[in-house]
Amino acid sequence: MILNFFPCLIRYSIFTPLPLFFKHQNLLPLSCSINFIKPISSSSSISAKTIQVPLFLKPPIYSTTILELKKFQNWAKSLSLSIGLKFLNLDNGPESNLLCRELNWLLEDVVEGEEDNPTGFLTLGCSENERLVRMRVEMEELYDLWKQRIEERRPFQYIVGCEHWRDLVLSVQEGVLIPRPETELIVDMVEELILKDKEMKQQGVWVDLGTGSGALAIGIGRLLGNEGRVIATDLSPIAASVAAFNVQRYNLQDVVEIRMGSWFEPLDEFKGKIVGLVSNPPYIPSGDIAGLQAEVVRHEPKLALDGGADGLDDLLNICKGAASFLKPGGFFIFETNGAKQSKYLVNFLNIQMEGSFQYVNSVSDFAGIHRFVTGFRK
Amino acid sequence: MMNNSLKMKSFSVSLLQKSSLRSLFHLPHHPRTIAQLLFSPFVISESKTTVPYIPQPYNLLKSEISGVSSDIQTTIKEHPSTLLLFYNDFLLPTIGFRHFCSQPLVAQPQPQTSDGLTVDDIVANNRWQILEETASDWKSHAASIAQSIQLIKKRLQWKQLVVRLDTLLMELNKPNLWDDPVHAGKISREHGLLMGKMKEVNGFERELLDHIDMLKLAREENDNELELESMKALLKMRRTAKEKELEALLSGEQDSCSCFIEVQAGAGGTESMDWASMIMQMYKMWAQRCGYGVTVVDEMCGDIAGIKRATIKVDGEYAFGYAKAEVGVHRLVRISPFDSAKRRHTSFAAVAVTPILGDASSRVKINESDLQIERFRSGGPGGQHANTTESAVRIVHIPTGVTATCQNERSQHLNKAMAMSVLQSRLDQLELARQAQVNAQYTQSLTEISWGNQIRTYVLHPYRMVKDLRTNYEVSDPDSVLEGDLDGFIMSFLSASIDKDENNL
Ligand SMILES: C[S@@+](CC[C@H](N)C(=O)[O-])C[C@H]1O[C@@H](n2cnc3c(N)ncnc32)[C@H](O)[C@@H]1O
Repeated sequence: MILNFFPCLIRYSIFTPLPLFFKHQNLLPLSCSINFIKPISSSSSISAKTIQVPLFLKPPIYSTTILELKKFQNWAKSLSLSIGLKFLNLDNGPESNLLCRELNWLLEDVVEGEEDNPTGFLTLGCSENERLVRMRVEMEELYDLWKQRIEERRPFQYIVGCEHWRDLVLSVQEGVLIPRPETELIVDMVEELILKDKEMKQQGVWVDLGTGSGALAIGIGRLLGNEGRVIATDLSPIAASVAAFNVQRYNLQDVVEIRMGSWFEPLDEFKGKIVGLVSNPPYIPSGDIAGLQAEVVRHEPKLALDGGADGLDDLLNICKGAASFLKPGGFFIFETNGAKQSKYLVNFLNIQMEGSFQYVNSVSDFAGIHRFVTGFRK
Repeated sequence: MMNNSLKMKSFSVSLLQKSSLRSLFHLPHHPRTIAQLLFSPFVISESKTTVPYIPQPYNLLKSEISGVSSDIQTTIKEHPSTLLLFYNDFLLPTIGFRHFCSQPLVAQPQPQTSDGLTVDDIVANNRWQILEETASDWKSHAASIAQSIQLIKKRLQWKQLVVRLDTLLMELNKPNLWDDPVHAGKISREHGLLMGKMKEVNGFERELLDHIDMLKLAREENDNELELESMKALLKMRRTAKEKELEALLSGEQDSCSCFIEVQAGAGGTESMDWASMIMQMYKMWAQRCGYGVTVVDEMCGDIAGIKRATIKVDGEYAFGYAKAEVGVHRLVRISPFDSAKRRHTSFAAVAVTPILGDASSRVKINESDLQIERFRSGGPGGQHANTTESAVRIVHIPTGVTATCQNERSQHLNKAMAMSVLQSRLDQLELARQAQVNAQYTQSLTEISWGNQIRTYVLHPYRMVKDLRTNYEVSDPDSVLEGDLDGFIMSFLSASIDKDENNL
């Protein structure tokens, strides 16, 4: 079904630097260069078919006894405890405490329980052991899922099919980057800005470049409300479908529009009209990819991570585009790999692109890492 | 015309129970009084003046509320300054109208029966013996009720209540009261609340004495029917009085709040951490039994087993009122499952309880700029490098050094919001302690609880029992206690701690 997308893709060679070009080879057919961009309407049947429904949204059509669930819990718990600090020492992966917490969340998502205490029955005494509970997956699959978590290091969020991000629950699946907690702060900063300056809310369109699951676009769309307009772009068809699904779930289809294409390419008509621009583009230096935590390197899409030799390819691309696409006074905020990239970009925006931007700044995340670069178009 | 306007809005009697309603808006039985309720600021005031556009004030004698319907509650929310005037079961349509005319109702003479008997007289010298209910003796019923009334007064800290009401009344009568609407709101709310309590008890007392008069009369006149009726009424009062005794235990200003419960393991490594997690489990199960909502806010697991510390949020009416009885150090004696030599071990866990104040105006205002927010347990380059479900944050309030952490929500945003609410209640509690508004022992934070302050011992070996060192209340079945059956302990502590204080009457 994904194939249906291809004809309506992409003229990305202009903006896309070479390394990125090669990186895409196995994902996209190189033949097409059609200038026609079809917005993905969220009601389209295409998106529905490629989407994996997150566990917590599946119907509770299976059932099992509390005893069986307790057995699973014990098994999964001891499997998690056996990990100890192994993954942590290996590649900064999860330690067993964290795995145990994930296990509770998995049970919360899988079992149909009471709303404010979904897994409360697991603490009930033995007399309740034979009671039936309704489940959203079969017992066998549940064991399988936890094995994947531990043995294959499959990210927890892909296992349950969702990521809790800010106050949202976003659907995610293989092929789409799992939104990171750091990125939440971009929405906080946008919120602060539009509270101070109402014009930023009403006068023009907001754009999220490389939207992935749609996290930033949805977060901002909710801040803007019905009068707002957000365009979110992504090159990956899976990302675009998942983003559309999430937009629909939050009933924002009239506010957030998903377009497929490379960076600014699908946005021609908005040149000079964008009032706010956010992006969390791939920024990891190509050479670092192989050494990443197993959850990331083995399971998350390279297209979402690899930012070229020094990780700056896409960021620089976007910075350049920002000069022509933002309207005067327009705001931007980009996520970076940390102090080194932020410093480089602040310098680049102030000096190389002299005269285009003002109030360029780097902002730290909660771990104290210079994570973001912000500023305004002059 | 009058009737029409009176009946404009009839309302159903059901939403609030009559008893809770009484304590909320206890209205006078005073003749020629019109009850007025003015919301936000929530004031109950009385007036002998008449409302201008009601032509026949005498129609409004003895107004009485018997219920508040949901549509009125909506009105209150939507039009906070609306004056609601009730007549019998009817809500009178009125418009924003403020009137204060509070007379010092506080200093009333002690109520008596027609032959001069007071509640104190009845209790003093055991004038009338208290027998079982089944004995069907009116004097016994009356004595039991009188005793309850005294106990309730004591639990409500009657003397202080009277003094406080006088102070509040003075404040309320100041002409410039409304210059500071927030303060005024607070004062009038408190006044309304305390007044309600006082009147409820006074009303109850009056009722008892009326029944006694009635009974005596019935006997003199050999009116069997009346006698029987009064007997029934007394028995009913006797039972209600027992319930009210319990209610009165939880009359502290914060008692009705939800709360946080924190548990910390004492020295002694894994054995103590295991004990801390048993205690936490006990509170979770207790809260569940009570029908409270339970959320784990923060949990630091032990390396091998148990928890170093943990915080849960307990949501529901009177959660704080009950849970505050648990503050202090809990001691366990058992054969440690972690000791291969099977020796007996003693371990400790400390418990702290913080109320979550419902009333926004009494909360401490926190300045964003005073906060330092950190990612908890972060390491490595983060961002796209890391896939983790760990998004805990720690918030430090720089001026006070108070910190709060939350790690059990599934997003950083929600962890931060929850940590903020923990921080808020800690700062509120600090402020309360500063104002000495609540009993100091409940306001201790975990760090202040001294390990010497043991409140309860749980022995699993060589014999089995749980004993509260403050009340000497004990049970021989530790399992049921550890499964959350704490009511006996909590009740005996609450009544003991309040009733033994002679100053309260
Ligand atoms: C690090 S992810 C960020 C996803 C999302 N915004 C978030 O913060 O969770 C980068 C995203 O950029 C997309 N991307 C990569 N190259 C792109 C390109 N040339 N044009 C548009 N999007 C691209 C990837 O598919 C991926 O979804």
